[in-house]
Amino acid sequence: MPVKWVLHWQPNAGTTVNSQILTEVSQCVEGINGVKEGRWKATLTFYRPMLREQANMAEFPRDFLGISLPEQPNKYYFVIRGQRLVLEADLTIQTIMERLQSYKARVALNFEGFQYQLGDFQLRVGKVVPNHAESLRGILMEVEYLPISSWDKSHQIMEEFFDIWQEALSKRSLPGHFVHIEPSFGEFGLSEQYTSQHTAIQYASIVAQMIATAQSAQSDVTRSLILPICLMEPSVTIQFASLIDGNLAC
Amino acid sequence: MGCFSNVKEWKSFRLVKSRAELKSTFSAKIQIHVEALEILLQGLCGVHRERLRIHEMCLKSGPNLGLVASEVRLLCDLEQPEPAWTVKHVGGAMRGAGAEQISVLVRTMVESKASKNVLRVFYALGYKLDHELLRVGFAFHFQRGAQITITVSSVNKMLKLHATDEAVPVTPGIQLVEVTAPASSENYTEVVAAMSSFCEYLAPLLHLSKPGVSTGVVPTAAAAAASLMSDGGGTTL
Repeated sequence: MPVKWVLHWQPNAGTTVNSQILTEVSQCVEGINGVKEGRWKATLTFYRPMLREQANMAEFPRDFLGISLPEQPNKYYFVIRGQRLVLEADLTIQTIMERLQSYKARVALNFEGFQYQLGDFQLRVGKVVPNHAESLRGILMEVEYLPISSWDKSHQIMEEFFDIWQEALSKRSLPGHFVHIEPSFGEFGLSEQYTSQHTAIQYASIVAQMIATAQSAQSDVTRSLILPICLMEPSVTIQFASLIDGNLAC
Repeated sequence: MGCFSNVKEWKSFRLVKSRAELKSTFSAKIQIHVEALEILLQGLCGVHRERLRIHEMCLKSGPNLGLVASEVRLLCDLEQPEPAWTVKHVGGAMRGAGAEQISVLVRTMVESKASKNVLRVFYALGYKLDHELLRVGFAFHFQRGAQITITVSSVNKMLKLHATDEAVPVTPGIQLVEVTAPASSENYTEVVAAMSSFCEYLAPLLHLSKPGVSTGVVPTAAAAAASLMSDGGGTTL
């Protein structure tokens, strides 16, 4: 299947993501002649072990994620990032996990927005929101290059597109930029031929990065007294960090 | 070679998405003329048999995992060009007066195909290998009032971990015969009737009963098997 880069919005230090940035990004895609097609949605769920004794929490993975992707409506993906494990299964694997009662689905994040066609590229721009809330937690973008399925062979053209995109976006002077994390797919046992398992790993990596950013921002809030209050939305940042921290702690 | 004993039958619900399905299963642990049974089945089913070589791993949750202990089965189909994995959860049996009145055992069953990392994933989640088996035999899949599958297989144990090439029979000479069909709560009675009707054709060789109820040896089995073997299935049993 075609190669895909998944990008996430990295706010500048002292700023947070907001819906205006999302609007600007979407307008920028249309400004470079991206043709709006339809909506898309992916979901990522944090799973937590159900333990009889909480003291042994360290024995079990704290980064066990479940991911559903729109291009694979009949599949579900598990990622245990710390152990470099990715699994593709049928949707019924979720029912099996419920029946086992050994792990429970906790927080879920939705990634949703619009899809655009731009020549041989398919772009998706989406907001990151918790499953039962409307507040924006992040912005994510998918860049898919339809003609190539080789990760290695696609690198040059993807880099070139990314540079063009960053340049177009920079003209809007937004407080942040998109970042691409390139996971080591080989460590997960995957080849350089792109699959949805590669996408699942990219999503897992992005969420880990978003958690790290949120926790860092939370630390900044509690430590620093000189950052201008008007540049920060501490309640949003702390809520997001707590949402994830609470999930990690339970 | 001798005849048969100890037949088990059960039915299970399989929950797929939001839809409940009944899976009716009749099974017989039997010592049989496998070739005779195969000839009979070839004539009855009208389809080619498929080879069966399934490596089944039963995993159980570690001591601290889950508020209650749990068990999951990983099945690896070794007959495919690339080993194909399935995750299977079998639930508890239906109990009560209603369950006693029907001739089958009812339980839930959920399956999911999975990629090859599935064993490592469950180990990482805290599951441990309890036991593993290798089932070798054949299967027929056909439509006869219901989508029926009949498998005839030997159950083998591995002397070394995962060493499927060195498996030995758990009970030499004993074959496990299972007849299964997916069903829903809406069409359960029709499926049971279809399976019962089909199993009647096996009566000269096999007897089926609820788990724990022994039917003993089928008196006609030897003669029926000899007849089938002598004329390749032309005999009407």
